[in-house]
Amino acid sequence: MTGSRSLAIDKLSGGYGDITVIRDVSLTVEPGKVVFVTGRNGVGKTTLIKLIAGQLAAQSGNIHFGDRDLRAEPPHSRRAAGIGYAPQESVVFDDLSVRDNLTLQYRDRDLARYEALFSSFPRLQERRAQRAGTLSGGEKKILSFCRAVAEDTDIVMLDEPTEGVQPENIERMASHVATDAAQGRGFLIVEQNLGFAERLADHTHVLDHGICVFDTPGGPGLRTRLAEKLAL
Amino acid sequence: MDLVALQGLNFVYISLTLALVALGLAVVFGLLGVMNMAHGEFVMLGAYSVLVVQNAGLPFLAALPLALALCAAVGWLLEFLVIRHLYRRPFDTLLATWGLAILIREIVEASFGRDYKSIDQSLPGTVDMFGVDYPAYRIVLMALIVVFFIGLLVWYSRSNTGARIKAMVSNPALATAVGINTALLARGAFIFGVCMAGLAGVALSPLVRVEPYMGLDYLLSSFFILVVGGLGSLAGLLVGSTVIGGSDAIVSAITSKTGGYMTVLVISILFLWLRPNGIVARD
Repeated sequence: MTGSRSLAIDKLSGGYGDITVIRDVSLTVEPGKVVFVTGRNGVGKTTLIKLIAGQLAAQSGNIHFGDRDLRAEPPHSRRAAGIGYAPQESVVFDDLSVRDNLTLQYRDRDLARYEALFSSFPRLQERRAQRAGTLSGGEKKILSFCRAVAEDTDIVMLDEPTEGVQPENIERMASHVATDAAQGRGFLIVEQNLGFAERLADHTHVLDHGICVFDTPGGPGLRTRLAEKLAL
Repeated sequence: MDLVALQGLNFVYISLTLALVALGLAVVFGLLGVMNMAHGEFVMLGAYSVLVVQNAGLPFLAALPLALALCAAVGWLLEFLVIRHLYRRPFDTLLATWGLAILIREIVEASFGRDYKSIDQSLPGTVDMFGVDYPAYRIVLMALIVVFFIGLLVWYSRSNTGARIKAMVSNPALATAVGINTALLARGAFIFGVCMAGLAGVALSPLVRVEPYMGLDYLLSSFFILVVGGLGSLAGLLVGSTVIGGSDAIVSAITSKTGGYMTVLVISILFLWLRPNGIVARD
């Protein structure tokens, strides 16, 4: 978790098929930094994170992680390279139990690695035998968050992690992100919840129509600065 | 009373062997969504493996490694050259594999001829079961299939690979995000599926006519079973085989082979019409 590599996105463009959604977006996630991408609905935030995750093929630009060129690698190799990802939609394996969702990628199938997360989100531990498809939207988001955060990756990408999650659990998510970032882990978070961003962001990028229109360091007053830009 | 016992044994025998025949298609079509029209041809390759072994004067069981190696090699080649480009395009897989099925049939016909081959009964004789003399080979085969399916069920529900396959089927994008190499996993599952078809061919070869076109019947009954049972679970496969095999056995015993076949067709059509997801529907 004490990463030394940065995730560097340089002039990235791409979208669905021939349609270009994201144009020339550049951003960097350094170790220990929490970078937010925000913007209104439909401006391409999720497309951007899917391009980085390799779920969509980029049309041009570069995705580098340390000295690895991720555009040249298949999407499943990102996890081993050290980049975790929790998507916005279809966030869990609905047909599998909560336990299987959390452990299927580990040879030992051990839940012990979730101890700290379970103490923050005890409901998840209580429901470990339940089919993940029967959880509420917010609970699925928590499950997905825990799965991604517990992975031993240098960088974690979270797409709208707080959507549908109760305020006290959002606060618990924030403290896990802050703790991990303090230990050197980098985060790239797509989020519309500006309070969450204000609490955590080292840097925030605002997207509009697939272009990065504004970027600002974090800190107090971020919410006001962003709200002005988002109102445009 | 003996007649009931005999028909009961036939019922179980037909259901179990059909489940074995359809297993490969349940994996390839049920999990991967590939409409493998060459499924029956892999059953045929399994049966011809026994013929080759028999002609070479080797024991029956030597056909097992030959069939598995042959089906794995052909399956790997098909997946690598054709199928992997067509995942999530079921109709295209149907056309492509239909062409491949014809190719495999023609190759076998060119090599072995069109005529029926007979496989020597490696376990002749009968065993007294519930007061009827039943062929020993069939009894052993039924027992082996039951053991095999129980093993498979336990493995699929407990193993890491089983969980990964379920994850890939449930949510392929998320599976890649957690680091699962879905391309490799799908290839493995495809090869496993066609190998199971070959295994069924080996098992059934002493009991059926062996000829280049034998695969067609197995292809059809496998699809009927999946239509009735539903896709994506071993339970669905077993339920489907019992319904299709059972109704075929019962109606054939009362009327004729044609009556049994017609009943199977009618049941399958009714299911496609009224309950297209089958009895054990995956939600």
